[in-house]
Amino acid sequence: MKQRLKNIGLFFLIVSLLAGIIGCSNVANQTANHADEKEIVLAAPRDLAPGEKDAYYTSIITYVWEPLVGMGENGEPIPGLATSWEMANGAKEWIFTLRKGMKFHDGKPVNADAVVTNYKRHWEVSPKNSPFYTLDFKKSYAGLQAIEKVDEQRVKFVFEQPQPTLLYAMENFGSPIYSPDSFAENGDFKGIPAGTGPFKLVSHEKDHYMLLERNEEYYGEKAKAKQIRINVIPDADTRFSALKSGEIMGVIDLGAISPDQANQLKQNHDFSISVNKSSVSHYIHPNGTKYPFNDVKMRQAVSLLLDRKQLVDSLYGGYATPTATMINAMSPFYVEQPIEHSPEKAKKLANEVLQGKRKSVTLIVPSYGIDRYPYKAQAEWVQAVLKEIGLDVSIKILDGAAFKEAQRTGDYNLALATQGLPNMDPYTLLANYMQSHGASNKNYSLGYQNAEADALLKDVQKTLNIEERKKIYGCLLQIAAQDWPTIPLFHDATLVSSNAKLQGLNALPYGVTLPQIERKKE
Amino acid sequence: MTGRQKLIGSICTLLGASLLAFVLGVIAPGDPALEVLSMNGLNEPTEAEIAAKREELGLNLPIWKQYMHWLGMVLQGDLGVSYITQQSVSAELIQRLPITLSLACGALAFAIGFGIPGGIILAMFHNRWIDYAGRAWITIWTAFPSFLNAILFIIAFSEVLHWLPTSGYGTWQHFIMPSIVLGLGTSAVLMRLTRAAVLDILPQQYIVTARAKGIHMFILMLRHVLLNAFIPLITVIGNYFGGILGGAVIAEVIFSLPGIGRFAVEGIFRRDYPVMQGYVLFMACVYVLFNTVVDILYGLIHPQLRRSEVLK
Repeated sequence: MKQRLKNIGLFFLIVSLLAGIIGCSNVANQTANHADEKEIVLAAPRDLAPGEKDAYYTSIITYVWEPLVGMGENGEPIPGLATSWEMANGAKEWIFTLRKGMKFHDGKPVNADAVVTNYKRHWEVSPKNSPFYTLDFKKSYAGLQAIEKVDEQRVKFVFEQPQPTLLYAMENFGSPIYSPDSFAENGDFKGIPAGTGPFKLVSHEKDHYMLLERNEEYYGEKAKAKQIRINVIPDADTRFSALKSGEIMGVIDLGAISPDQANQLKQNHDFSISVNKSSVSHYIHPNGTKYPFNDVKMRQAVSLLLDRKQLVDSLYGGYATPTATMINAMSPFYVEQPIEHSPEKAKKLANEVLQGKRKSVTLIVPSYGIDRYPYKAQAEWVQAVLKEIGLDVSIKILDGAAFKEAQRTGDYNLALATQGLPNMDPYTLLANYMQSHGASNKNYSLGYQNAEADALLKDVQKTLNIEERKKIYGCLLQIAAQDWPTIPLFHDATLVSSNAKLQGLNALPYGVTLPQIERKKE
Repeated sequence: MTGRQKLIGSICTLLGASLLAFVLGVIAPGDPALEVLSMNGLNEPTEAEIAAKREELGLNLPIWKQYMHWLGMVLQGDLGVSYITQQSVSAELIQRLPITLSLACGALAFAIGFGIPGGIILAMFHNRWIDYAGRAWITIWTAFPSFLNAILFIIAFSEVLHWLPTSGYGTWQHFIMPSIVLGLGTSAVLMRLTRAAVLDILPQQYIVTARAKGIHMFILMLRHVLLNAFIPLITVIGNYFGGILGGAVIAEVIFSLPGIGRFAVEGIFRRDYPVMQGYVLFMACVYVLFNTVVDILYGLIHPQLRRSEVLK
């Protein structure tokens, strides 16, 4: 009897312990739910606030700081902190007029002095690294002789040489402005920076989360949400599970959600998807320094054989845009090149190069591409398609550093790659790829040489007229679509998703409409 | 082995591990200078820029000089600065250590708390259905890779049941899934070893005598069986703790825990030598420390071992 009582007692003890654990867990959940009423929790694949040592402290997509010149929906320069600008002395001088009555988050006024201090800091620390954009004012403001305060609201930039496309270089990450008190003596940030944006950065933990709070003093339309927390969830599957479980209400930033996951959520009324253009394009880099891709006919054959639309529809859920144009469609200088898909022509051209023999080639794939895009399936698709023209493709997946090394040493034949637009003026990108000594041309072993392209790239530097520049870029893009220094496949799309209880989370070409986000009213 | 010999052995282990890590890092394909300059995937550096960055990072020095320079800094308590984040490696490791240690201790607690009692139960019900079911359980969890367990756990406990958070840290609930996922394999190994050790001890003469004297099974297990079974178990636990710390990388990536494992993985992918070196040295220190703790525990549990050391 005594033993039986003991057993019953033990049973109740275990049950109470379990109930306690579950109870505590529920209490914690309730607390979390209560907290959710105050803040909206989102997630991003990477830390959007790397901190004091970063060139920008936090990404522009968090709306903490604002640039002098912003970027419009079509990549065009739009007013940011500067409401207007004028070009003088044959594009050697630029005068920017600042918005009146603006204040930084720390209460300091936004005036010409603040802009001059910012530019001095940016110049001194250049080049400074960041996972977003490298801050390199010595490159983007090449030949800058002076930045002068004209009056309280106006600043003047004086250059050695004409800078007709300066505004494109200044968009977004090209002209960030913070309170002068945000900078330490060595050019790093001194704690959380004070910007002018609709959100203030309240706190953050590296690789964990960041907490944004509405800037009640914002000069424009105020943010709708009082607080937004952005958690860092690098693993794509975990991020997807967190969204489905309701733990987070939306996902943002590059590669936030894969096309496949977006299509899964499309069927579910509890979630919404938003799509927009992206400044990222996808390519196949051919190694032009060795056989068979040192022959232009072979590169043409690959381009003709690949059915870009099939690729986009089958692996990218139809969200991306097939292209044969080397620069991204976001650039205002974009001149579309026709896509030609002709397996017959491709076989003929390949046969001229291979002389009826088969050739083994290596396709290298970066592991980061597999994390973010369906690159493994894409590589297998390329492998299957290229068989038709006598190329036996073996796939090699390499981590980022090994991938770059293989490209640099030419230890590959084909490579899957992505490229973003470093500047809305495509000069840098075209020069990198098409100039005989271009950085990408060398670093990717493209082996591209074309005297006409070299000459056009020289000409464009001297051309002040924007329409004239566009014409030259058009010629270069046409040459690229004949010679294929690299083979463009498609322009990516910015894909984001949110819980249906949330509204206003829409994708932008870079980032999301964070200030518009709010909970739907019940 | 005397205390001095152990100390010399430990220093050699640390030096050997750091040297090996350094050499492996250098011979792995990839250039840290290129990684630093192209980290945003937009800018493509020129050859001159890469050369200048290599010079700045000291990568043009002979390999032995680079290693000696790093070693000199370590002796002054400085693990260097990350090429990529520009943060002090020591500061990053210290900041991230509590997360990894919480995870590893949670996993070890689960492995011990589940594996040892489980093994005893299996031994007590030797060749009965509980034993067969337990052995199947052991085989499954030894074979299942932890990343797969992680995915299945997230689907079950977060997506479907909504019991636990998928990722991050801050509350004890955040550590339940990662700790279990990380400790499952070790718990299965411990269960199998405990079962085998207990089965070895149970037929011993002194146990039979004790049972004949009417000593309660619980006391018998605790005082006579477990104490003797602990020696091989502690060796395994000591070795597996290192494995758990190493395995924490997967749990940290999947469950978004910013621990030292995730830091190291990012460092390896970026060829961030100071991070790779710092991580290896740190892990080697943990191994050495844990082995020392295991040695001390031997002596505490089995004083004869300590005495035999003294007699030598």
